[in-house]
Amino acid sequence: MLSINNCQIQIEGGLITLPNITLEKGELLVITGPSGMGKSTFLHWILGDSIRHANISGEIMLNDVPLSGVNIEQRRIGLLMQDVHLFPHLNVLDNICFALPHRLKDEQGSKLSRPQRKDTAMQMLSKINMGYVAEHYSHQLSGGERSRVGLVRALANQPQALLMDEPFAALDPDTSANVSQWAFSQLHERGVPSIMVSHDLNNIPSQAQHLDLANYFQQV
Amino acid sequence: MNNRLLAKSQLSPSNQLYSAINLGLKSTAWVLVAIIALAPLLGVVIGLWPAVELDWAAISRFLGYNGLAYSVASTLLLSLVAPLIALYIAFMVYSRYRFNRRWQSLEKRLAPLLSLPHLAVALGLVYLFSSGGMLWSVLWGFIGQTAPEWLGLPRKSMLTMILAISIKEVPFFLLIFSAIGRQLAIKQWLLQGRALGYSENASWWLIVFPVVLKQSRLAVLAAMAYTLSVLDISLLIGPNIPELYAVVLYNWQTGFTPDEQTFAFLGNLLLIAMLGVLIACIYIHERLVTKQLANHAVMANPLNITWLSGVFTAWLGFFSLLTLAILATFLLWSLGWNTHSTFNTANWSISLWQDEWFFMQGPLLNSLHIAFFSSLLGVGVTLLALELQRHNKRYFPDYLWLLAILLPQLSMVYGWQIVHTSSNASYHSSWIILSHVPFTFAYSYLVLRGPFQSLNRHYELVAASFGYSPWQRWWKVRFMLLRPALLSAIAIAFSVSIAQYIPTLMIGAGRVATITTEAVAIASGNEQSITAVYILVQAALPFIAFLVASILAQRTRGSVDAEHQ
Amino acid sequence: MMWQTSKHANIRSRIGFFSSFSWANLALLFAVLLSVLSVSPVALGNSTLKETISELEASQQWQQTLKEARGQTVYFYAWGGSKPVNDYLRWAAREIASRYKVRLRHVKVADISEAVSRLKAEDGSKSAIDLLWVNGENFSYLKAQKLLLGKLPSAIPNTTLLATEQLSLHNDFGVPMEGYEVPWGVGQFNLIANQSLFSAKNPEQNSITPADILSAAERNPGRISYPRPPEFHGTTFLKQLLVALTDSDPRLFALATPNAQQQLLPALWHYLDKLHPIIWQNGSAFPSSNTEQLALFTQQQLDLAVSFNPNQMAKEQSEKRIASNAQRLFFDGGAITNSHNLAIPKGAQSPAGAKVVIHFLLSELAQKHKVDGSWGDPAVIRPLLDPASTLPAQQELHSSWQQVIEDTWQQKYGA
Repeated sequence: MLSINNCQIQIEGGLITLPNITLEKGELLVITGPSGMGKSTFLHWILGDSIRHANISGEIMLNDVPLSGVNIEQRRIGLLMQDVHLFPHLNVLDNICFALPHRLKDEQGSKLSRPQRKDTAMQMLSKINMGYVAEHYSHQLSGGERSRVGLVRALANQPQALLMDEPFAALDPDTSANVSQWAFSQLHERGVPSIMVSHDLNNIPSQAQHLDLANYFQQV
Repeated sequence: MNNRLLAKSQLSPSNQLYSAINLGLKSTAWVLVAIIALAPLLGVVIGLWPAVELDWAAISRFLGYNGLAYSVASTLLLSLVAPLIALYIAFMVYSRYRFNRRWQSLEKRLAPLLSLPHLAVALGLVYLFSSGGMLWSVLWGFIGQTAPEWLGLPRKSMLTMILAISIKEVPFFLLIFSAIGRQLAIKQWLLQGRALGYSENASWWLIVFPVVLKQSRLAVLAAMAYTLSVLDISLLIGPNIPELYAVVLYNWQTGFTPDEQTFAFLGNLLLIAMLGVLIACIYIHERLVTKQLANHAVMANPLNITWLSGVFTAWLGFFSLLTLAILATFLLWSLGWNTHSTFNTANWSISLWQDEWFFMQGPLLNSLHIAFFSSLLGVGVTLLALELQRHNKRYFPDYLWLLAILLPQLSMVYGWQIVHTSSNASYHSSWIILSHVPFTFAYSYLVLRGPFQSLNRHYELVAASFGYSPWQRWWKVRFMLLRPALLSAIAIAFSVSIAQYIPTLMIGAGRVATITTEAVAIASGNEQSITAVYILVQAALPFIAFLVASILAQRTRGSVDAEHQ
Repeated sequence: MMWQTSKHANIRSRIGFFSSFSWANLALLFAVLLSVLSVSPVALGNSTLKETISELEASQQWQQTLKEARGQTVYFYAWGGSKPVNDYLRWAAREIASRYKVRLRHVKVADISEAVSRLKAEDGSKSAIDLLWVNGENFSYLKAQKLLLGKLPSAIPNTTLLATEQLSLHNDFGVPMEGYEVPWGVGQFNLIANQSLFSAKNPEQNSITPADILSAAERNPGRISYPRPPEFHGTTFLKQLLVALTDSDPRLFALATPNAQQQLLPALWHYLDKLHPIIWQNGSAFPSSNTEQLALFTQQQLDLAVSFNPNQMAKEQSEKRIASNAQRLFFDGGAITNSHNLAIPKGAQSPAGAKVVIHFLLSELAQKHKVDGSWGDPAVIRPLLDPASTLPAQQELHSSWQQVIEDTWQQKYGA
């Protein structure tokens, strides 16, 4: 469960006072608002990244662990960006393996060897019928494929929460609809609480929470 | 623009003339650019043209030359190890500085730090750290003792060479990384890596290094080719039993017995072969490293050892301190310090400066005059080459343009010298200027290509829509936007020309004295005080050039690149 | 001096042939007169010398040369690794400019063989070089390849001043000069040592043998070295050792035949095999030049330095760069003596200017400044001959031995 309390975003020109946010497993929160309001900055703050152009304060609790003072590497929060940023020197399979936790163990409790890790990654791809891109590199994928692989990679890391920054904005309307629907069902299935910044309100599931920053903006 | 005109079905006579002139100008420009870019290759080929009788006896004598194998091996080792050490150090420095407040100060100081000539760094290390060197005298002087003899860097050894070259190449690689890094989404990759649980240092090595390494191939080759063929430093601080290969080859090239001439020819072949070996090593190294890192990536190895990179946070401070120490050492030696001095007993005087100043003026003026023209020419031809390629919408691969720094200098200048002597040309400094242009061209191409290509053509499109003619657009928009990069390129080209030794020596037959040739001649005489005077002047020249360039740059605003945080 | 004593011997034997009382008296008087004259060669010679020179200078040939030379620039290729030499040439350039309106440019070369190979590549056509400082194998090569301008003595008046007989200046490393080069100065190989190095010897005696060097190295390991051949000081050190170890075998002064090499050289290599392990850096590195060795000597890293200039130690001591109790030593059989010379390439573009420069450099003023200034190189002209400052001399080996020694050293110890 992800909760964000007493959060205030101070930007040039005003203050946004957010209501307390609580996300149970598998729930989705969509954040919208005019440009410049600090949506992406808010995501980065949750991630633990250093932020500019705004002052954000608040308390984040992830599974009853407060995150203040915890750096990005240890927060177990995943990130999916618009450009996905699959690492160019690794093929898709290796990108996913890179995300698999280091201490991944099999049923007997011993650490996985290299072939085993690759198998695990392959299984994840095959389950969504994308096994055929395993040896491909990022520049060889279509937009839709890239977005899907990006999500698989993020989920491979077994994150406790996921942040998405306009992940499907660059796709054409049809692909965007397909991929986003598929993504939300995956997240729900795995029980990962997610926060997504988006301009496209057409494709979000009905049970998702919605937060429009403009509603909480007060000019100073 | 040309094509548009020609595509029109009706061409009026004046348009025909116009397009004919244009074509003529374009072809001339292409020829000029090709000559400058391919001159190095031409030099190497001419130098390899068999001018001597070759028979198995001569070849076996060559192979049997005592110390040849050792020379070759130690030179290859040096050329492999020193640049690679510099590469890794530079990467670690880059990783610590890039997304840091300190990056600004680093980038600003990078070009001037680069301008410190290799010779100054090499001799500076020796004057500071060798036994009897400045550092030990000062340290032990504080407690009133003389430093022990065994303490210190050997004056002539492989270790000293490796140190000197790797220290000097780090700023060069930093410049390259800074250019490469601008085109990559490093910040996002690191964020992604950290979100996946990897430390920042580990993310740099696992994610960024393989990509950057692949794009640094040419830079690494340039550093290796330089080390392979460097003559002045090898003479002064290289080991001499046996000597480094460049010294051996140069001795053959300047020898006059038939044996030496044969050896010079075969030696040239060997040098090119050594270059081939280095190129192969670059690929092998890249393969090995990327494979290893990919393995680590697949195993999600947290690479805890990468915390070592943290050490290099202090690099800028260390390097600046070293530079200052070297300059201070030279200054003190030039003012009367010698091995027996302590701060109390040294007798300071500026007599050395006063005496030498009169004689320094000739070489100084030569250096300035040659560097001024060759840097302007080099940058001009670079702009020409870039424009021509842009018009053709096709950019030739980099290695064609950078031949001057990818091929060993000794071989190519040898070939030029043969042409120069056999055509009975004079020894006017104009020939020296011409012999420097391939190098100033290569370095300015290296620096300008990135900014030039990444310059958004939309700016010019908008200007066109306002009605500006092509020339006006080029001048008022493209040129103005490139100005900061151009100033940087001119300053770098200027320092490259100042530091040139082999071309000035060989093409000028020694008759054209520059600060660098004088400094090397005097340094071989081992009188440290007067050497210090000349080295200081040599080091000051590029520094002044960069100072001027940065002052001018601050008064201009332009885009050097795309988004740059 | 060697040459004077041999003359004496000759005359005495002739006089002894008649051997009567009155003849003996006359002979004694004659001998005394001769000795007096030999001690002050300046007295009689000077005035007639000066007259001859003025005559020659007034000649039409020389006036023509002077006229052509005015405004010319002479590129003088000379070793640039020594500050005193460079300073001397700067002084000379100023003098020549003011007296003859000739611009002298000193092109500093690291080794004169660079100039030789350039001349070879130019093959007698228009040359970059107007004047070069040369001797030994470099000269013999250039002379054999007919790349030098000849008949220099007849074209330059001050060559009359040369002390050709007294200093044996006909040959250059066994190769006759024959007017293709003109002597500029004289080199006598000597060693500069810390007082403690050869302390076992009688401090009055300043000649040494190879055995002395070996025992000094044993007592002071790592403190002795010599410049790495083919640097000419290093090669000469080896030559001195060779001469001493083979008892001045006459074959060394003739062409180096394979037989002679086989029989004479091993002595040197055996000696070096014993010496190298106990010298500086165990023989794995050598100073690259005599100036580097001198620098190491002044920095007290070495106890021995080598020089061709018999006045060098005195000069360094007066500049307080080395201790006042340092010793100047030479090899027992005599210091290898050679002349260093000036030559003009056939293709020189300013030959008249070059001749004027040579004329000046041989003048009394220039030669005196050379001896008295920071360089200290001995004079080669009669008015300035100083027998007291000359070391006992040993003739140079034949130039062919040079290459042989250098090549074999490179083979044996160069790696």
